[in-house]
Amino acid sequence: MKPGTKLKSATCDSEVMIIRCGKGQIECGGAAMTAEKSAEVGSPSEDHAGGTLMGKRYVDADGTYELLCVKSGKGSLSVDGVALSIKDAKPLPASD
Amino acid sequence: MIKVMQGVRVLEVAQFTFVPAAGAILADWGADVIKIEHPVRGDTQRGFLNMGGVTLDPLRHTLIEHPNRGKRSVGVDMSTPEGQEVIYELAKQCDVFLTNYLPQVRQKNKFDVEHIRAVNPNIIYARGSAHGDKGPEREKGGFDGTCFWSRSGIAHAMTPEEFESPLSQGIPAFGDSIGGMFIAGGISAALLHREKTGEATELDVSLLSAAWWASGALISQGMETDVWMRNPSPKSGGSARSPFNGNYTTSDGKTINLCINSPTGLIRDTFEHLGLPELADDPRFSEPLNLFENAGAASDYMVKAFAAKPFDYWKAHLQTMKGQWAPVQSFRDLLVDQQALANDMIIEVEGADGGKPMRLVRGPVQFNHEPLETTRSPQASEHTEIVLMELGLEWDRIEALKAAGAIA
Repeated sequence: MKPGTKLKSATCDSEVMIIRCGKGQIECGGAAMTAEKSAEVGSPSEDHAGGTLMGKRYVDADGTYELLCVKSGKGSLSVDGVALSIKDAKPLPASD
Repeated sequence: MIKVMQGVRVLEVAQFTFVPAAGAILADWGADVIKIEHPVRGDTQRGFLNMGGVTLDPLRHTLIEHPNRGKRSVGVDMSTPEGQEVIYELAKQCDVFLTNYLPQVRQKNKFDVEHIRAVNPNIIYARGSAHGDKGPEREKGGFDGTCFWSRSGIAHAMTPEEFESPLSQGIPAFGDSIGGMFIAGGISAALLHREKTGEATELDVSLLSAAWWASGALISQGMETDVWMRNPSPKSGGSARSPFNGNYTTSDGKTINLCINSPTGLIRDTFEHLGLPELADDPRFSEPLNLFENAGAASDYMVKAFAAKPFDYWKAHLQTMKGQWAPVQSFRDLLVDQQALANDMIIEVEGADGGKPMRLVRGPVQFNHEPLETTRSPQASEHTEIVLMELGLEWDRIEALKAAGAIA
């Protein structure tokens, strides 16, 4: 998969842009994501139904994968069955 | 919606509210505002866990949304040479460089005016600061609570003498939001000047200067007379020299504000509305100069009149009064105020959590009577690759920059 490629979920509305990737299978809602939207959209499996948030980046533990969510949906992202996690800003704590 | 700043590109290297709010106003007006954030930490404002004792949801962070809506976020580490190169490449294609970083940081990370002008001599360089870009304390940071409110004299003037300690600013980012609009106004003038003459200017707005301008009528009067006024203690009644100026308490403990500065032709109408028609024929009150002279006596009658009826009665009854008045409302009341709503105060952007839309307020300027349309504020570094590709960076370079930790 080339960086910059957009992938669509087969189980929900999610869409991501590939920023960085290896050779594994990128999934959403437990099913492989594809460049073309599938004609029939299923629903996310129970283990992969955490949802995606637009504008968030999703990464794996060793930094091989980075996906930017460009459209949110109900499924959650994984690679070869292993869930990706949100790469959030880690701001310094502040309070007034 | 008309976008008066369409085609203007702003590079914002700024944090917190004051200077980002200027970027937000320009984005509201149609500018393409690119917000640079630290690749790991993001805008420090994202770290605000509590405001005024209220815990904030990081995905529905009103203190991020208010000054950052309509922008795109690019994560760049400006402490690295690679990151600085990215900033220069962005700056080449921008009309305005907007920053609130301190002078020593601008120097250390090489994005001070001379560095940015070296790659783009025509860029407008706009600085927002706490204390101004000149003087011995130019390298000292601050917030609106310190500079706009406390140091400026505003806290002192707002607080009645009898109080043990000064009132606090009370409204988060109050001075920041006012001052941000000043910066946006300055940038607009600088863009016009550049358009007409080809000359790019630098500009400065400090929180201290925002405060002295906002307080200018009183400061000027003090310099002229050496009489320095402070807020009087709250009470029901008129001011020392005008019964038609003051807060009056209603029978249910709420307040009606009168502000009839120029009472000529309004004395009878006002007294009639207050249920005191006989005072309009009383020689102590029937003409403006007499009314000023006998302010205390008139105020006593009016205090009793207001105290006899409830707030809702006065709100309805005073609708036909010619002089200027207002109910003292809360912000909650403002949300259903027909004038605020008719003038499109509230805007909606999508919630970053995918939930219900978030409600924000528009800036003070409206063009062509058109309601503001904008988008939610960006997630930290949401648009790094998209913006850099738009500006012509190849993917290989983006990947290399990412690997070096210069961007995120």
